[in-house]
Amino acid sequence: MPSRSDDRQMVEFHWNGHPLLGRLGEPIAVALRRQGIGVIARSRKLHRPLGQSGSYIAGVLARVDGRPNVRLDLEPVGQGMRVEAQNVWPSARFDLLKAAQLLPAKAIYGGFEHADWTPQGGRGYHLWERLMAHLAGMSPPPLPSLPSEIRPGRRVQYDTVVVGGGPAGRHAANEAAAHGRKVAVVTRGHICGRYAAACGVEQEAIDDRVAVFTGMELFGSYRQGALLVGAPHRYDQGAVAFDTQEIVLATGRRSIPPLVPGSHVPGVMEAQAALVMAHEHGVAPGTAVAVVGSGAQAAIATRLTAFGANIVHVGDVADLTRINGRVHVNSIDVGATVICDAVVHAGPWHRDPNLIFQTQSDGLLQLVSTGASGNLRVAGAAEEADEDVVVPANLSDDVLICPCMDVTAGELLMHIDAGETDPEVLKRLTSCGMGPCQGFPCWDSMIAVLASRTGQHPAEFARPSHRAPRRAITVAQAAGLHDVVGPDR
Amino acid sequence: MNARPVNVSLPKKASVVIVGGGIQGLCCAFYLTTFGLRDVVVLDAGYWQGGASGRNGTLIRPGFGGPEWTELFKLSCDEWSQLSRKLGENVMFTKRGYSMIAERAETAAMLGRAAGVHRDLGVHSYFVPQADLPHHLPAINHRRVAATLHLPDGGVAPHHAAMKGLRAACERNGVQVFYRTAVTAFERTGGRASAVYAGEHRIDAGSVVIAGGGHNLKLADLAGIRLDGYSMRIEAMALEPIRPLIKPALALIDSLAYFHQTSRGEVVGGTEVPERPRMSLSTDLPVMAATAKVYLEMFPQLAEVRVLRHWAGMIHVSSDFGPLLGEHPDLKDLWVSAGWSYGFAGAPGAGLLLAKAIATGEVDRRMQPFAVDRFDRGKPVAEAGIVLAKN
Repeated sequence: MPSRSDDRQMVEFHWNGHPLLGRLGEPIAVALRRQGIGVIARSRKLHRPLGQSGSYIAGVLARVDGRPNVRLDLEPVGQGMRVEAQNVWPSARFDLLKAAQLLPAKAIYGGFEHADWTPQGGRGYHLWERLMAHLAGMSPPPLPSLPSEIRPGRRVQYDTVVVGGGPAGRHAANEAAAHGRKVAVVTRGHICGRYAAACGVEQEAIDDRVAVFTGMELFGSYRQGALLVGAPHRYDQGAVAFDTQEIVLATGRRSIPPLVPGSHVPGVMEAQAALVMAHEHGVAPGTAVAVVGSGAQAAIATRLTAFGANIVHVGDVADLTRINGRVHVNSIDVGATVICDAVVHAGPWHRDPNLIFQTQSDGLLQLVSTGASGNLRVAGAAEEADEDVVVPANLSDDVLICPCMDVTAGELLMHIDAGETDPEVLKRLTSCGMGPCQGFPCWDSMIAVLASRTGQHPAEFARPSHRAPRRAITVAQAAGLHDVVGPDR
Repeated sequence: MNARPVNVSLPKKASVVIVGGGIQGLCCAFYLTTFGLRDVVVLDAGYWQGGASGRNGTLIRPGFGGPEWTELFKLSCDEWSQLSRKLGENVMFTKRGYSMIAERAETAAMLGRAAGVHRDLGVHSYFVPQADLPHHLPAINHRRVAATLHLPDGGVAPHHAAMKGLRAACERNGVQVFYRTAVTAFERTGGRASAVYAGEHRIDAGSVVIAGGGHNLKLADLAGIRLDGYSMRIEAMALEPIRPLIKPALALIDSLAYFHQTSRGEVVGGTEVPERPRMSLSTDLPVMAATAKVYLEMFPQLAEVRVLRHWAGMIHVSSDFGPLLGEHPDLKDLWVSAGWSYGFAGAPGAGLLLAKAIATGEVDRRMQPFAVDRFDRGKPVAEAGIVLAKN
């Protein structure tokens, strides 16, 4: 495949003690994929293999230079870096925890950290809890030798804060700037508009008067949207609190993983993540790629082909019934069996509801979206309605709804069939959505399953509360905001 | 949304109607069944575990600074340690110990007085010698610690397990529990509380208990009674899971912080930031920042651990921060379990005493100091060993 980064300096880093070569500055997950390494992480309970999916952060968390839970899809490769898989014992090379894969999914319904098959009270439980804490912790604590200083934050004021640096975000920012407003654009990418660039979409230049914050996750909307907070991916930089009068959300939409067995297996990727990786790094999701979707699959496949990917199947996501393979994709069932080692899903598309929920929700018994617009405006693809998630009539119990917490469709259906149809309660009974992704996309899948089983429409169910900061900020960065934002009196 | 249709299967009559299906309400209901009552009804306007019972720090300790709190919470901690057996359900209580930490000399002196109270009342506690601190709390910034009073019988119980166990045991013993069912009116007849209404549906009640957490004052208004105190938001947060670093549960009296590392590996807790008391389930930034600052100062190794989730819950606190426990002086047969700021820890003890009082008429010595009318009588309960911002 063509690559723009071939001239970059090669550096040596270590993956579980093995020396590997990577291109300086490319994300570690990309460097691993170049070496054919797709399994980066293991799920908490059943130790299922996980990789970079573009949907679930749990699949890209690893320990880097003694620091736990680092996102390998964002962290650039550096010379001599020591990268280690987490949730292993005693070591990644000889990992006894893999035996957990032999347990049937049913064995952990409401189990593990729930009470169903744990010893009751007393010393037995005490020992069990210690074991559980060790397993659930995934990674040892950070090395005591790592920096522990506060990362001072700052507070800035903008008339308009635009979240997302794609075409819609750029347009909104430029328009506001042209009207004399003080504008900031915040994007999580190292540059603005990566997906649009990968799609070959012409993007207008950002007005010089607009301040651009790259590499920053804008995770929190406080005080009905009057205060937004973002933290840089880099550990050594401080967080930023934005006082603003207007928020423009131009965050686009993401594809919800198909509700079929195997949708969590390494090799299954969300379309945006796959396209951006192919465009920026010349790395395809696999050597034989199937693209499924809700309409955009042909366009996405064409784009992937332009970057050199070998597309072996393009079809409707509703025709996909199973993704085969245990540690990586081997084939898919779409009526016939198609041999492939990667599946890219391009729809159904949903917008990440997190910031909207945080800004607009209210209530004393439950936070529920009020639908009030306030100072928030949505622009671009995020404005479009969420598409229906296809729930197969014979939904398999094995479909992993929340890979971070090992919640299967079977576990959800068990509670739903017992009469529990409240998403907030389902969340508490199963821990669905309580991992690093904090409810997107897994609550969209959970509510789709719930709606399908009860014969209702997904919109009839209130979403569980979306909460900041979704692991976007470190303790040292958060502490750096202490003197920056005082209580709201 | 998701509302249980009102009037479906709600009973017409109950010996006790408990308003509030949090841990206070469910504990009271459970212990009522141990006194032989079967037709107990619990009504809650929210969803199961939706109130402070599902949002708190889950810390449990038997000892405080003064005798009144210590006696009540010692009883409750004893109940916690037997609760799994009594319920026949695992509430996952672990005696991992609870350390009260002073950073200032005067707070250390307060802990010294607390240790005396503990000794007098049979609560096991001891000072951890500074030399043993590296063993007791290896990751703590030792220079910040002036004194550590450790209560080995304290611990934690995850709220999902506790609430699940209590609900299951209650329902097995015949208690009918209804969530998403708001009480809309109280009926009083001849100076006593005689019934409650959920919409049009009337439930005739032998006794009524108000145990609505942050919503107590609203319920008191509905019932036409006065309750001391005010409602406020409290916030807490969880860090991303890591393997065990902090073993006991901790209260940092001077930093106004409390936290522990759960069996999921998350460090969960919060700090108190003085703010205008408000009712809200929304979070604000200062508590996250203040909590992070305390973590950074006391456990520097947490510097680059990430904050996973930050949430808010509501409580109703009384003027002296102690619970309001007992029959209301102005309305017969109306009982309250309110004003809780350490309600999760205190629920089994309070539930037991309140149930006993309702079922037998015997008001236990240990709940008498917390009587609802103590402020009118000029008898507030002073307690120094708690972590709460004085707003």
